[in-house]
Amino acid sequence: MIRKPTLASRSLQYGILIAASVFAFYPLWFALLASGRIGDRLYTLSLPGMFLPVEWTFENYRAMIFDKPLLTWLRNSLYVASLTTVLSLVITTSAAYAFSRLRFVGRQSLLILLLAVQTFPGVLSLVAVAQLLTALGLYGKHEGLILAYTTSSLVFSTWNMKGYFDTIPIDLEEAAQIDGCGPLQSFLLIALPLARPALAITALLGFLAGWGDFIFASVLVPAPDSMKLVVPGLFSLASSNSTPWGYFAAGGLLIIMPTIMVFLVLQRYIEGGLTVGGVKG
Amino acid sequence: MIGWSGRRKALALFFFLGPTILGITLFSLYPILLSTFVSFTNRNKFRPNPDCSLFPTSIIDPLCWPAFRDRIPQGLGSPYRLQEPLFGNYALVLGNLFTPTTLGAIAMIAACFVPLAAAAFFSGRFEKLASPPVPSSWLWLGALVLGLIMALALNVSAAYSTLLSGGDFIVVVLRTFIFVIARVPASFVLGLTLALILNSPNLPGRTFFRIVLFIPWAASSLAILMSLVWQFFFREQGTINQILAAFGVPGKAWLNDPFWAFVVVVIVDTWFSYPFFMVTILGALQSVPGDVYEAADLDGASWWTQLTQITLPLIRPAILPATVLTSISAFQMFGTVWAITKGGPIEKVGQPGATEFVIVYAFKQIFQSQNYGQATAFAVILFIFLFSLTLYSLRLTNITKGAYDT
Repeated sequence: MIRKPTLASRSLQYGILIAASVFAFYPLWFALLASGRIGDRLYTLSLPGMFLPVEWTFENYRAMIFDKPLLTWLRNSLYVASLTTVLSLVITTSAAYAFSRLRFVGRQSLLILLLAVQTFPGVLSLVAVAQLLTALGLYGKHEGLILAYTTSSLVFSTWNMKGYFDTIPIDLEEAAQIDGCGPLQSFLLIALPLARPALAITALLGFLAGWGDFIFASVLVPAPDSMKLVVPGLFSLASSNSTPWGYFAAGGLLIIMPTIMVFLVLQRYIEGGLTVGGVKG
Repeated sequence: MIGWSGRRKALALFFFLGPTILGITLFSLYPILLSTFVSFTNRNKFRPNPDCSLFPTSIIDPLCWPAFRDRIPQGLGSPYRLQEPLFGNYALVLGNLFTPTTLGAIAMIAACFVPLAAAAFFSGRFEKLASPPVPSSWLWLGALVLGLIMALALNVSAAYSTLLSGGDFIVVVLRTFIFVIARVPASFVLGLTLALILNSPNLPGRTFFRIVLFIPWAASSLAILMSLVWQFFFREQGTINQILAAFGVPGKAWLNDPFWAFVVVVIVDTWFSYPFFMVTILGALQSVPGDVYEAADLDGASWWTQLTQITLPLIRPAILPATVLTSISAFQMFGTVWAITKGGPIEKVGQPGATEFVIVYAFKQIFQSQNYGQATAFAVILFIFLFSLTLYSLRLTNITKGAYDT
């Protein structure tokens, strides 16, 4: 890893990266082409049309932004997704801290219970969750969705974060405690900054849980148009006898953009090397 | 380490774990409880409503709570009751799983995995006692060959077809298993490879590749649209066939072929899921101190030795939970396969299709046939099964342990 890479290994690395990038990007490129195609078709039967923008129009984008309530939906989704991100970061970090750094009776069983509830098929709990939110007066409100999304990404993120905390040498915190920090202080000042990659991933998971979901959003906030989130909103443009594929593709790309921007912001924190040389001996 | 004790510790635990426990109880445990209850009733499209005068129903069914009581639609058939016999739904779901022929077939297939299990048991335990020491790769290779010989000797393909005629449940669970076994390692290896490359310092264009390779995860917010795009690639007039035609190779109707439809679903789901592994592993790699590699370089350790002896063990606590949880969600995969194949293609009428995985099956049971009782029984069996499997994998991998725990 520290060694200077040889020419052969470098070209192998780039070969893999380029092949994987084509695999990763081509489907999105195809959707991009469809978003500028005339005539509301997702597909084209001409071979060059599958790779190059042979026909291009901005009509779909214009219609999505100015004629349809896409901007309202985007605002709703942004509200739900960002609150979900914040809420799940706070809840997950504190739980993961307790699981990783405190030793208490029932710690193992609680961890396993969390995994256990995750193994129950989610589709089947949907009806019960909807009833529960109605009882709490949160049905049809964005706050109810935020709660549902936060809990749905809770187990995954808690385990993930706990796992990451476990890889951080505890010696660092112990050293801080010997120097007079309290347990919480040493955690906040030492372990949390070191866990930035895991925090970034948790934030990403929380954001995507709120941003990209279709099933919960369409069941829990079915109406009115001004309340809908962006993904169910987009698909509600389809009527029983026509599917506006051009709108779907254009709207879809507008939906993906913020996700990529969030990743752009967060991916800096997935860099690191902070622990390098942190512990000697 | 130093920490809180006594009342302060209890208070800390309450504040740190309280929100999680509350959330899980309301949004996970309660739905599970309700589904388990429904699985013992004959609730279906003709009997959708509860009878609130009966004891367990009146507490557990939300429709009987004061807030909803007046909203129960009246005159819609008779209310549902506990099933007669109580385990009726379970018996229906399991079909003839517990008959001697089916169990025999399972035992025969399981026997072929005994050598591998033995290898797992012996490797690291006794191999050092043998003189000269047996390398573990030899042990695994031998076990694999022995397993294959046993598979031929016991005529596993016959046992497999016996098993497939044993009812929907077995077919569906088996298919889902094969899917998980194909999909999780595929996305893990792809994610690991890319993360290792992207983690190498002074790689020009690193950020660019990170973002391009992240795209499928971002696109998962449009799983339906992207799945339909993928579906088009494999259609009869789709991209793949057109490219093949340009080279004069005849294409085929990939999605009408049971085997290829399965492969397509694996490829598409790998596309959706490898960025998660890539990003998680990339994150985990940051916690590995660089001086370990310097020391290994001085000792002349090869690249492969460094990977298997240093990198993987050190990031294990971070990536194992991710792997276990991804396996669980792969087992419950729904959206992608629904958009691409709707569970098909169907080989025989009345049997589940080639890509009809467990949740697709449950979904069809609930929303197309509205067999709530049977569908929830299916879910509960699945839950018990998956949970025991998870527990077993926890035992095997010691997942709750940290990298620096002793």
